[in-house]
Amino acid sequence: MFLTRSEYDRGVNTFSPEGRLFQVEYAMEAIKLGSTTVGITTPEGTVLAVEKRVPSPLLESSSIEKIMEIDAHIGCAMSGLTADARTMVDHARVTSQMHAFTYDESIGVESCTQAVCDLALRFGESVEDDDALMSRPFGVALLIAGIDEKGPQLYHTDPSGTFVRYDAKAIGSGSDAAQQSLQDAFHKQMTLVEAHTLALKVLKQVMEEKLDENNVQLAQVTREHGFEILGETELKQVIEGIPA
Amino acid sequence: MDALASSLSAPPRLTRDLNEDGDDAGSSAEWGSQGGFGNLHSGFVGGMTVPRTPDPAAFLNLHTDSMSSNPQAKIKLAHGTTTLAFRFKGGIIVAVDSRATAGSYIASGTVKKVIEINPYLLGTMAGGAADCQYWETYLGMQCRLHELRNKERISVAAASKILSNIVYQYKGMGLSMGTMICGWDKTGPALFYVDSEGQRLKGDLFSVGSGSTFAYGVLDQGYKFDLTDEEAQDLGRRSICAAGHRDAFSGNTINLYHVKEHGWDFIGNYDLSETWYEYTQKEKGDKMTRVEAPSPMAVEA
Amino acid sequence: MAMHAERSAALHELTSAPIQHAFNPYEDNGGTILAIAGKDFSVIAGDTRQSQGYSIQTRYARKVWQLTDRAVLATNGFAADGNNFVKKVKQRLEWYEHAHHKQMPLKSIARMIQTILYGKRFFPYYVYNILGGIEEDGTGAVYSYDPVGTYERESCRAAGAAQSILQPFLDNQIYFKNQTPEPGAEPFIPGNLPLSTVLALVVDSFTSATERHIEVGDGLEVYVVMKKGRPTDDLVGEGKLAPGMAVEELDALGEGDGEKTFLVTRSLKRD
Repeated sequence: MFLTRSEYDRGVNTFSPEGRLFQVEYAMEAIKLGSTTVGITTPEGTVLAVEKRVPSPLLESSSIEKIMEIDAHIGCAMSGLTADARTMVDHARVTSQMHAFTYDESIGVESCTQAVCDLALRFGESVEDDDALMSRPFGVALLIAGIDEKGPQLYHTDPSGTFVRYDAKAIGSGSDAAQQSLQDAFHKQMTLVEAHTLALKVLKQVMEEKLDENNVQLAQVTREHGFEILGETELKQVIEGIPA
Repeated sequence: MDALASSLSAPPRLTRDLNEDGDDAGSSAEWGSQGGFGNLHSGFVGGMTVPRTPDPAAFLNLHTDSMSSNPQAKIKLAHGTTTLAFRFKGGIIVAVDSRATAGSYIASGTVKKVIEINPYLLGTMAGGAADCQYWETYLGMQCRLHELRNKERISVAAASKILSNIVYQYKGMGLSMGTMICGWDKTGPALFYVDSEGQRLKGDLFSVGSGSTFAYGVLDQGYKFDLTDEEAQDLGRRSICAAGHRDAFSGNTINLYHVKEHGWDFIGNYDLSETWYEYTQKEKGDKMTRVEAPSPMAVEA
Repeated sequence: MAMHAERSAALHELTSAPIQHAFNPYEDNGGTILAIAGKDFSVIAGDTRQSQGYSIQTRYARKVWQLTDRAVLATNGFAADGNNFVKKVKQRLEWYEHAHHKQMPLKSIARMIQTILYGKRFFPYYVYNILGGIEEDGTGAVYSYDPVGTYERESCRAAGAAQSILQPFLDNQIYFKNQTPEPGAEPFIPGNLPLSTVLALVVDSFTSATERHIEVGDGLEVYVVMKKGRPTDDLVGEGKLAPGMAVEELDALGEGDGEKTFLVTRSLKRD
């Protein structure tokens, strides 16, 4: 893939003769360097789990934030350049709130995802009065989990601005192996508790360090409580439930 | 030199003059995922349609009665009010009437003049009903964003300042709003008065609207910080009742709220005429049927 | 020369008098609108006369508009502003359908109308709106607005030329204001009247307003929106409508979730 490296590498908005946008493709590669992130949908709600890489014992692991709330009924987990995700998450939050303000209803999960993706290709040279454009594509992928009248949903967005809905999805460095495990273990009638366990089990398989409550984060979106990040005690409970 | 330069330069041009109708489908952002947010994300004056006249405020004043100064204007906007809020040891009492007038016509007797910004913040409505309703709903959105970004509820001081800053941007353009932002934050119960002139005051006791003088009369003589919850609620109710009785622009029903540590509670909606009858009967010492137990006389002791 | 000087002096006197130039883009085109909510239906009505001053411009100008399968909007005031406003609302409804893959719910239309009206806070639409329809929970609803977007959900509302004639009547008949139930009788519950009673009240309102208000008359259009699954025979059944009234069911605008909209028409006096 990288053998065709050429002049077309440099321009962020120039197609190569084969019809590729290299910078966007490279941005997607950046995600594969990120920590593994997993999302699973069940009839009761959607679960998100991320690996937090703690390279030093002096690092305060609670300061790593890889799962964020977008609105009471939508949350997201990220992999890649997490700093880029802040721009996207803030845009999603603002869009969700503007939707609630304008229509007196909470935004649909798909509409919110679409809004995030609309940002993705706003890089390159600015046109007319299009303000605040970015110089390069985002280097982050998101798993957006939410619940609305259509039920629990999980979406995957990438730097090309494409979004796809999944029952279960893994992104990041361990995504290939993790996706395979998800495919083997996932079934449509999974309970929320089973999904918690599966998400961590999959993470455990691909993580280099030993999984504990300090290096993973687990969140869920349910109809009853909306988005919530699981606390330490709940997390410990799930970890204990992982089959060895 | 500066004076010379400015005297030679073109007259200050209002950027809003260039602004076409905010809802025109000219910009691509209008129909995508941002469809219909035109006058939101551009914020403030930029997103609002303004007539192409030399003095937009004069235009507005000619055609609407928004500042209550032009009663024969064609476009009658709802206003007229008595609202009050006061701080005491048990939190904040918020009491309002429910009458909206357009000229001498009672446009509505069921207006919700307490705007529930979110479960722990209340705003009151006096002046232009639309200005209060719209901007306080908008404030609710800003408070929620603050919460998401900072993982912490916004303070009443900050919330009221957001509102104050918004309306200050429109100063002189004809907004009309006198509101009290009430809530409970880390500092305890907090109460701010914010108006469309740009004034923002922290205080213990405010009353706003055409009937405020009458409400103050009752409120001031009965107010002390150490009131019990029942006494405080009754004082609020009684003050609006007095105002509704004497001010023709206020009346119909009373809405009563109590802001406590866990957020606000809606105490009740009371018919003003019936409430007045109950209070006056009580004063005459007649037997009367009351729904609530608390003694209204206690506050006059 | 002298004459010329005299003339120019006279001219000068004429033109030197202060003349007020004001930008006046507004007109009052009369007419009246009215809406009443029931438990599982909503009725939105308007006359069809449009006048300018004392002359009638047309005897048929539409003031009530079907927006979605569960929402109907009535506009009153300046007809040009009203028509333009409805056009804009319909455009926004279409955008919403494309973006969110569903018809906009009634409460969302209600809020959106506020934001559109307030967007012209400094150059208002001279329009009084009443929105009626069915909420997502199946209840009938009426929302009323002032020209810059204050809104409120109510059980009934009249607006326009005959507002001050009709609203007190509705207060009495719909909200039971100043009525006392007979001793031992059930207490009044507003918003619970049967459709036949509501329809009769609407027709009586407009015939009465036509008798006493010069800007009301010619024709009456009544839109009835019904909750999905609600029996329709109390409206379309044999002999249910008074003589001179016609009813037609309107086609669904969207997927057709089951809500039904009917248009009842009747003529009003034309003098």
